[in-house]
Amino acid sequence: MSDELSLQELRDRMKAAGITIAEHRLSMVRKLLSDALVHVRARDWRASKTVEPAVRFSAGGEGRP
Amino acid sequence: MSAEIGYTTIAELSAGYRARKLSPVEVTRALLARIEKLDGALHAFVTLTPERALADARAAEEALGRGDARPLLGVPVAHKDIYLTRGIRTTGGSALLADWVPDEDATCVRRWHEAGTLMLGKLITHEFAFGLQFPGHRFPHARNPWNPAHIPGGSSSGSGAALAAGLVHGATGSDTGGSIRGPASFCGIVGLKPTYGRCSRTGVLSLSWTLDHTGPMARTVEDCALLLQALAGHDPADPASSRAPVDDYVSGLRGGVRGLRIGVPRNYFFEGADPEVERAFEAALATLRGLGAEVRDVRIPSLAATHSFLLIMLAEAWAYHERDLREHPELYGDVLRERMLGGALVTGGEYMQAQRIRSEICAEVAAVLKDVDVLATPTSPKPATPYAVATDPEFGFPRSNMPPFNITGQPALALPCGFSSTGLPLSLQLAGRPFEEALVLRAGHAYEQATEWHTRRPAV
Repeated sequence: MSDELSLQELRDRMKAAGITIAEHRLSMVRKLLSDALVHVRARDWRASKTVEPAVRFSAGGEGRP
Repeated sequence: MSAEIGYTTIAELSAGYRARKLSPVEVTRALLARIEKLDGALHAFVTLTPERALADARAAEEALGRGDARPLLGVPVAHKDIYLTRGIRTTGGSALLADWVPDEDATCVRRWHEAGTLMLGKLITHEFAFGLQFPGHRFPHARNPWNPAHIPGGSSSGSGAALAAGLVHGATGSDTGGSIRGPASFCGIVGLKPTYGRCSRTGVLSLSWTLDHTGPMARTVEDCALLLQALAGHDPADPASSRAPVDDYVSGLRGGVRGLRIGVPRNYFFEGADPEVERAFEAALATLRGLGAEVRDVRIPSLAATHSFLLIMLAEAWAYHERDLREHPELYGDVLRERMLGGALVTGGEYMQAQRIRSEICAEVAAVLKDVDVLATPTSPKPATPYAVATDPEFGFPRSNMPPFNITGQPALALPCGFSSTGLPLSLQLAGRPFEEALVLRAGHAYEQATEWHTRRPAV
């Protein structure tokens, strides 16, 4: 998978999501998402440990680390 | 008189009230006059509430007469305009809510009211608290009192500008990726992002549920501690609200930093940093060492992936705004709208991988905080951005030193640590373990009392 989100991929995603983004803003949105995706796309996630998606202390306050 | 009143600390104000040298009604009138004089150019306020402020002030005066000793009694505050206020317009900085009048207060608004504060009004926010200053806003942008050609930071832009200009003594802010600490940094004031769950989000418009924090902004660390004391505590209406005991944030402030272990993460936070920022930061470390702190370098490699937090923020913002974006797209500023629509393009898998990165960062930071008590970094790698740059629609979402602590949820304090050669404020960020706000505030207070940065005033 390319690290960069292509303009075609952006259009495909817009179609799937059922949204329209103004043509003159496409490059702005593509850059925003490409920058945010760099580290997600660069990794082979099969090699990563499964970790729960939450901060490690309890938001309920019971467990200070 | 109004400038003098505007820049008193909360402790000085309270002492003046109790010595009968000041009265809440006189202070309110002085500040309303100052706002009238300055806010036409600053645009810190979106809604002024003079009648409410004077009614609160009269109530405070009566309470003082009865010997009421609440520390925030008669203290003038204002709220970021994403905090709901009963009977008072709450716009979210958006055309979508331009005339909305809620029928209840946010929990934080109610708590400050019950603590005896007086409310001067509502402070402008970037549209729906999205942290950049886009064109197409329904309301004017706040200006930086230190230099109106530079942004005050955001999204709590009005809060930062009002405090720096001496228009209020305390303000609420919210912080999803730095929106309390950024304006504090750019406006030369103090802002605390408390631990996730420490202060209620009930009645505060959301940007991103798992990253949003509410908290106080003020001109000194002690003022911030006093304001936090009245905000902190469990709120059953907020599902993320913590039941952890609330510490005494004020009485321990003068404990100093002797023996405190301060870690300086040398990766991530200095990439692209302005040399003046680095010099001010190193001077701040020297001051802390001189006060007895033990300063050492640490490394947190996973922070390299911090920017993936945007996937979480965008996807959650889309989830919150989807219906309005689909039904009333014309009521969003056009640049903000297109960026929020980007949240619809984040896949479920990408959102989850970003959350896995988040877990890795949390684990690494928690491990580092077993060996040190507090982390110190520059709050922002550069001073306030010029308006012309920040309002360009193509201006990206800049790499920032603040999101790491939204990701981890730990408390982080921004306080002044110098000025650039062009006269713009520079800021020190101190972050502690979850629920250790008291320690972070103590370290910040020790630094602040050893320096004079917080005493400087912009020429407004």
